[in-house]
Amino acid sequence: MAGKEFSVYLTGVGGQGLVLLSNVIGSACATAGIRAITGEQHGLSQRSGSINVHLRIGEEVRSPLIPIGGADAILSLEALEALRYVEYLKQGGVVLMNSRIQRPIIETVAHTKDKEARYMSVDDVKSRLSEVTDKIAVLDALDLANKAGNPLTENVIMLGALSTLEAFPVPDEDVKRSISENVPKKAVEVNLVAFDLGRKAAHDTLCNIVKCKD
Amino acid sequence: MSASGVMKEGPGKAFLLCNEAIVRGALEADVKVVSAYPGSPTTEILDTFSEISPHFDFKMEISSNEKVALETCAGAAMVGLRSISSMKSVGMNVASDSFFSLSYTGVKGGMVVVMADDPQAHSSQTEQDGRPFGPNAYVPMLEPSDPTEAKRMVKAAFDLSERHGVPVLMRTTTRVSHQSGIVGLERLDRKPFQRLAWSHPPGRFVTVAEAARTFKHSLLERTKKIKEEFETSDLNSVTDTGSDVGIITSGAGYNYTIEAARILGLKPSILKLGTTFPLPEKLIASFLKKLNTVIIVEELQPYLELHVTAIAKDTNPSIKIFGKWTGHFSEALEYNANIVADALAKILGSKTPVDYSAVMAKAAELKKGLADRPPTFCPGCPHRATLHALQQAARGTKHILATDIGCYSMSFLEPLEYGDTLLSMGACMGVAAGLQYAAQEKVLAIVGDSTFWHAGMPGLVNAIHHNDDFTLVILDNEVTAMTGQQPDPGRDYSAGGRPAKPLILEDVIGAMGIEDITIVDPYQVKAAVGPMKEALARKGPNVIISRRACALYADRNKRRRGEKIGTNKVDKEACKRPYTCIRGFHCPAISVDDDDRKAFITKELCDRCDVCSKLCPFGSIKPREGE
Repeated sequence: MAGKEFSVYLTGVGGQGLVLLSNVIGSACATAGIRAITGEQHGLSQRSGSINVHLRIGEEVRSPLIPIGGADAILSLEALEALRYVEYLKQGGVVLMNSRIQRPIIETVAHTKDKEARYMSVDDVKSRLSEVTDKIAVLDALDLANKAGNPLTENVIMLGALSTLEAFPVPDEDVKRSISENVPKKAVEVNLVAFDLGRKAAHDTLCNIVKCKD
Repeated sequence: MSASGVMKEGPGKAFLLCNEAIVRGALEADVKVVSAYPGSPTTEILDTFSEISPHFDFKMEISSNEKVALETCAGAAMVGLRSISSMKSVGMNVASDSFFSLSYTGVKGGMVVVMADDPQAHSSQTEQDGRPFGPNAYVPMLEPSDPTEAKRMVKAAFDLSERHGVPVLMRTTTRVSHQSGIVGLERLDRKPFQRLAWSHPPGRFVTVAEAARTFKHSLLERTKKIKEEFETSDLNSVTDTGSDVGIITSGAGYNYTIEAARILGLKPSILKLGTTFPLPEKLIASFLKKLNTVIIVEELQPYLELHVTAIAKDTNPSIKIFGKWTGHFSEALEYNANIVADALAKILGSKTPVDYSAVMAKAAELKKGLADRPPTFCPGCPHRATLHALQQAARGTKHILATDIGCYSMSFLEPLEYGDTLLSMGACMGVAAGLQYAAQEKVLAIVGDSTFWHAGMPGLVNAIHHNDDFTLVILDNEVTAMTGQQPDPGRDYSAGGRPAKPLILEDVIGAMGIEDITIVDPYQVKAAVGPMKEALARKGPNVIISRRACALYADRNKRRRGEKIGTNKVDKEACKRPYTCIRGFHCPAISVDDDDRKAFITKELCDRCDVCSKLCPFGSIKPREGE
């Protein structure tokens, strides 16, 4: 296989801005002259359901879907969704997940019937994932997004964190330009702030466990 | 959405969704008339055309259904203008009546029909394989694998269509349509829109009896010529590695094949077919001659496998053919590189570097107890309120619910699990007619406004004419919600925001002959129950219209007007944990606090429809401070 390939499994809950995220990365690749393809989900699956985008960077990638065990990283905008697609993660791959959990209604309905029922927690997810990788970083993206000035920038917070990975082959300046071109005009500033906050947060978490760019 | 990429002057490149690349290809081919009904996975073709339409002079309609869309394109192409329509797999079923005839009459201007199948039934009622439509209608069919190729093929399709006077089918699947990639853009060189004079003798596009028999002979001749052309077409490609193992594939299957060969470190010869009707038989035969083993990689039916087997019988009778008939590939569900790699490894006696079944087994173990998260109604969705009120109104009445295609189809999913039948667009009324003859229970049917306009009206006409006894509930949320809130015939605008005449649902239904019409607002969830209950008690056919705009659509309009969308919270003092806001309502914004077991509303998700607050017997759900 040719070097410099990077496959990331993006996941979250419908409405969190996953497709925008993959568009930002893909457009940045177009500018940087790097080949990128995606397999996206549109339509019925967007309704507060589990959602995913396969994003693949590299000259030789052809399949828009990442093979089982083929993702260098899972980027999850919602913690439970990181676990839902664990089969796509390479042995020892990176999990970058938001600590936010949106409770599935099926789990909530179970709570109304059983007083002892407890929701699955971020720690539960982390401990399960740790059976297949020791590279798990958790970010409070909602908190950081609020600090950036808009709770809707959670996706860009996570992108900022992802961009610090040494294995992530897209230059920062191309990602930033792509953010400016792909988000609504009046939200450009807040998204660029979010990107930087995500990067900074990664230095204290992700970069302690995985090799990051300088 | 990257409409800006689609509109770039060119030359250049842009990161485009395949559906956007198709639009770009059509623009580069100077398309003049566009007509479609939304349907996943093709919807972004319609959305992109609609978004950019104010900047171009092509004519566009968001049609009432796929058949009308295809006919609109046919009319324009008969005159001589280039036209394009797009539809999902099952949309072609609706359009197919005219599609078959159009192949007989042919066209003058180039006409392209994009049809997208949905292996895995991600957003469709079946995994229908639409490829047989090509040979069955004698319409040439092209299949791209990625956005770059799709753009190129649309242009080739217009050219082919015009040269042979036949519409061209471009068939994709979900993983082709919803694949983004970096696409090269040529210059946009568009000529001004101009109407043409009708240049045909009388009867030119009439097919019946003797005319049909004459057309049949000429379309067979036409198909023969196109087949000759496809034998040497650069839309097909051969990678000859000198191996005695070859793979024949097309569309999405090609992508998985390349990746699987790479995973396994194999170098088979590959024939990639871009023209899948008529098939280039000589090209296939010459590919087979050099092999002792051929593997067919295609999702859904063994369409290529059938033809390759027939061709091999004369060309290379001793060749070993592997595919679905040998049990190595399934006719069900979509593929992936690992599925193809597993099959190739089994056939060729090699080994995958990753033990996929072991990874899946470990994943299943780790996911034990992880709750499913199927698609559900959005916070603020009026359907949730309508279905809640309907269940209250029908309580104590044994009934059967015939549902239809739309967001409300999701009512049969966990946790609501409400709904008994679902076939196709507009089918609930026909099914209800049969149910009321055969079943002892009261019969209900539900349909959305867009689906009613699309294919529901004949069902209601039939029910009125025969005095069928069922109650129809029309969920009027003003738009085609599930595919992204496109305007339907009830709106006062169409593609690109262009003004259109709105049809008034109750006026149309009243004029058709329904005298018993009840109109409710689902947000007034308790007030709606009484009138609904009374309507259900009366003899049908009668109609309940539950009217409230789709929450996503309403929110978008509110934001546009600069209005704030508030949120609610639970007053923990007042909450006595009756869970009326959860049971039978199931809003994703509401969960249970693990500490005090009281209801909790997630601020970021709440849409402030206030329906849960109306349901709460203790009045504990209130607007957040300062909102």
